[in-house]
Amino acid sequence: MDFSILWTDFASLLLDGIVVGAIYALVSLGYTLVYGVLRLINFAHSEIFMLGTFATLGVTMLLGFTGFEEPLGILAFLGVFLLAATVAGVASGSAAMLLEVVAYRRLRRNNANRLSSLISAIGASLFLVEFFRIITDSKDWDFPRLLDKNSLFQVGTAYVTADKIVVLVGAFALMIILDRIIQTTKLGRGIRAVSQDERTSILMGVDVDRVIAFTFLIGGVLAGVGSAFYMLFYEATKFNVGFLLGISAFTAAVLGGIGNIRGALAGSFVLGLIQQFSSAVLGYNWRDVVTFIILVLVLLFKPTGLFGEALQRARV
Amino acid sequence: MSKKLLEIRNLTMKFGGVVALSEVNLHVSEGEIAALIGPNGAGKTTVFNVATGYYTPTAGEILLDNESVVGVKTYKIARKGLARTFQNVRLFGDMTALENVMTGADSKNKVGLLGSMFGTSTSKKDEERSHKKAAELLNFMGISHRAGQLAKNLPYGDQRRLEIARALALEPKVLLLDEPAAGFNPQEKVELGNLIKKIRDAGFAVLLIEHDMSLVMKISDRVSVLDFGQKIAEGTPSEVQKDQKVIDAYLGVADHAS
Amino acid sequence: MSTPSSTNVRFNLRDKFGDWWEGTTRNQRVLFRAAVIVFFFILPFLDNPILGTNESDFSSVLFYPMGMFVIMAIGLNIIVGKSGILDLGYVAFFAIGAYTHAILNLNFGFPFWINVFLGMGFAMLAGLMLGLPALRLRGDYLAIITLGFGEIIRILAINFNFTGGAAGLAGIAAPPTLFGIEFVVDDPKPFYWLLLTLMLLVIWAYLRLVARRPGRAWEAIREDEDVAEFMGVATMKYKLWGFVLGGAVGGAVGAVYAGQVTSITPENFTLQISIMILACVVFGGMGNIWGVALGAALLGYFPEKLRFLSDTRILFFGLLMVVMMNIRPDGIIPRKKREKVYDKNTGQEVTR
Repeated sequence: MDFSILWTDFASLLLDGIVVGAIYALVSLGYTLVYGVLRLINFAHSEIFMLGTFATLGVTMLLGFTGFEEPLGILAFLGVFLLAATVAGVASGSAAMLLEVVAYRRLRRNNANRLSSLISAIGASLFLVEFFRIITDSKDWDFPRLLDKNSLFQVGTAYVTADKIVVLVGAFALMIILDRIIQTTKLGRGIRAVSQDERTSILMGVDVDRVIAFTFLIGGVLAGVGSAFYMLFYEATKFNVGFLLGISAFTAAVLGGIGNIRGALAGSFVLGLIQQFSSAVLGYNWRDVVTFIILVLVLLFKPTGLFGEALQRARV
Repeated sequence: MSKKLLEIRNLTMKFGGVVALSEVNLHVSEGEIAALIGPNGAGKTTVFNVATGYYTPTAGEILLDNESVVGVKTYKIARKGLARTFQNVRLFGDMTALENVMTGADSKNKVGLLGSMFGTSTSKKDEERSHKKAAELLNFMGISHRAGQLAKNLPYGDQRRLEIARALALEPKVLLLDEPAAGFNPQEKVELGNLIKKIRDAGFAVLLIEHDMSLVMKISDRVSVLDFGQKIAEGTPSEVQKDQKVIDAYLGVADHAS
Repeated sequence: MSTPSSTNVRFNLRDKFGDWWEGTTRNQRVLFRAAVIVFFFILPFLDNPILGTNESDFSSVLFYPMGMFVIMAIGLNIIVGKSGILDLGYVAFFAIGAYTHAILNLNFGFPFWINVFLGMGFAMLAGLMLGLPALRLRGDYLAIITLGFGEIIRILAINFNFTGGAAGLAGIAAPPTLFGIEFVVDDPKPFYWLLLTLMLLVIWAYLRLVARRPGRAWEAIREDEDVAEFMGVATMKYKLWGFVLGGAVGGAVGAVYAGQVTSITPENFTLQISIMILACVVFGGMGNIWGVALGAALLGYFPEKLRFLSDTRILFFGLLMVVMMNIRPDGIIPRKKREKVYDKNTGQEVTR
């Protein structure tokens, strides 16, 4: 083990940690939002993300990219990427809403126990993974390089590239939009109301079914757009890409206190950084073991997450 | 003065910033029916939850038969002799009435999991003991005919009785009843009153939370009154009824108290 | 006169059989049990093309996937169906059992018959080490932890050297000859009989446990954990036992599996196996061992037998889980007991 890399590569690890954290944030928000209104972990959320990566890829394929082109100019890139991200967001958002109807709604209406809902979601997840395994032929799928990834400028050891800037700027913009939606729109207030007290919300005239559907939609769209950023950064996908990313995003949500939106954001960046720094020392193949250990430790010793207080207030 | 079986001293319970109980002193003596009354939200059920170890008190002492049980696990407190029922009936719905009571009775048995698997002589004795105990208690509560029925299919009144039978199966020193008369008609309340006296006479001390004043006044030996997490009065039923503080506490919520 | 409290009793396979069973004498029961056991032991001799599948003959299918699915589903049922713990990483126990036999056999020459028990022991130890901290958590958190556990065991097997890394281990010994029965790779029958014997032991232990104190404790915990605790049930202890016993079954089966296939890689122990076994439990009826066994046998057999299902098997399993939870969450044979109706005056059971 070589710890000196932590110092020599500090800036680059920091930058990558933040970029990875921004992608986790978009996915972990889906876990946290759904948990807020349903008190359930949406086990199929990782597959909603996976679906988004293929939607992103599909757009570039339809546009005729083969991966051998010269990188695009900035305007052409923005056009193509915006289109891909939008399609991915729409695809993932609608898939998430469909998922809610098929796997959750009836069980919720019948007051089924939590175990049944979890199993139903796991079944849906298994179905989606397998469906995509079959139609994508179990292959690794490469995403064409849309953007020149040569370093634009250097900060310490960190090479700042255009794709990282796009991910960071895009993710922050989305987070601000989400915050506005939750704080100011009627459905946003509905989400907050149902998260705090479902029964009282019903009495106050909140249409819980609509709020829940809307929550899945938001979570799905965020995961879909997040998947476009993921594709831009990692440039590859596979039918099982959702699994480990889902575990990471879920860990991030738990780290920040599940049900707590700002906590999920903070948890994502913290986890992204921990992963980058620990992988630098231990090796990349231990990344998921580290993530899992963090998850177990947080659940066991601080199940309300790093921001337990805020969570308490949000939930009571 | 008879022996105090359950004694709660200076009990304080805070949830975050909310003080649910403040410096509460209570006790239940051998052979008595003690009642705990008070307006809704006064902290009565919280007393049960703290005494049974479900919550750890912020401060104060809880003695069960002169032994401190603060910090002891809930199931161990139950085995030491503190059994309870619930405000809204909480039975094991998919188990039969007999099995519900046997689950309580099992807590007094020694047999472990491996003993059950290999069918040791202890396990056979224990099974018989639980079965016999449960059958006796169903009979005692007058619901023998329900033995083989699933708890969730029982009529409401019998569910309440079954819940008491299950608690009695633990052979508790003190039985905690949380609003046992809720949802009963006057006739059923009279029957329940007699039943609680019968339980006392069988040697169980009882601590009763109840909203029905006529029932409380008729059967309790001693009444304590909680309001906003504080004990405001204690005494015989007639003393408490005359207490000005109690009258004031109830005036605002007269509808609930009737 | 009394009236039965539940008048609209639906037709139910379990009840029909239960009625018949209660009417039998002790001797008839012994005879019935013996007949069933003998039937299952001679089942592989019914090898014929009609029962066989496209790829393999009937006796092979009986060992894998049918036998493996059934016994693993029975083991997982102790965890999910009885103790109410949603375990998404059951494959971890299976993997531990398989690697125990492989590693101890290849490095130290330990024979299969010892390794079965050691595999069981290591699986129980792992269950204890994970369960002690994790079983304090409830429901979905616990599900995630177990899911992670299943994956971590697999990732560790890839990352470590003594497990052979991603390439796995090969040349693992089959069980030595026992009572003149030879265990050879091209004859699945002895392995099937081995599984069947194991299965009978597990069923024997399970039935004893659930009819007695542990069974009541588990059921109470699943119904309402808090109330169980208030009623003096040591909930943590029983959940832990459930987890560890289920794990023991998985560990033993893993060793048998390694002894049959003689080479294993981490890719034999994916999350999909955990979920498939869970689907078997859910389909059959959580908490009912006969339902679970039947469900697992059907889910083991038909996807092999029916060509249109064999390629899309996993797809079908996922769909099945969603559909079952939505329309029949109790599975094909529900765990719920028959309602016995008693006469109010005499206390005697009323026959319908």
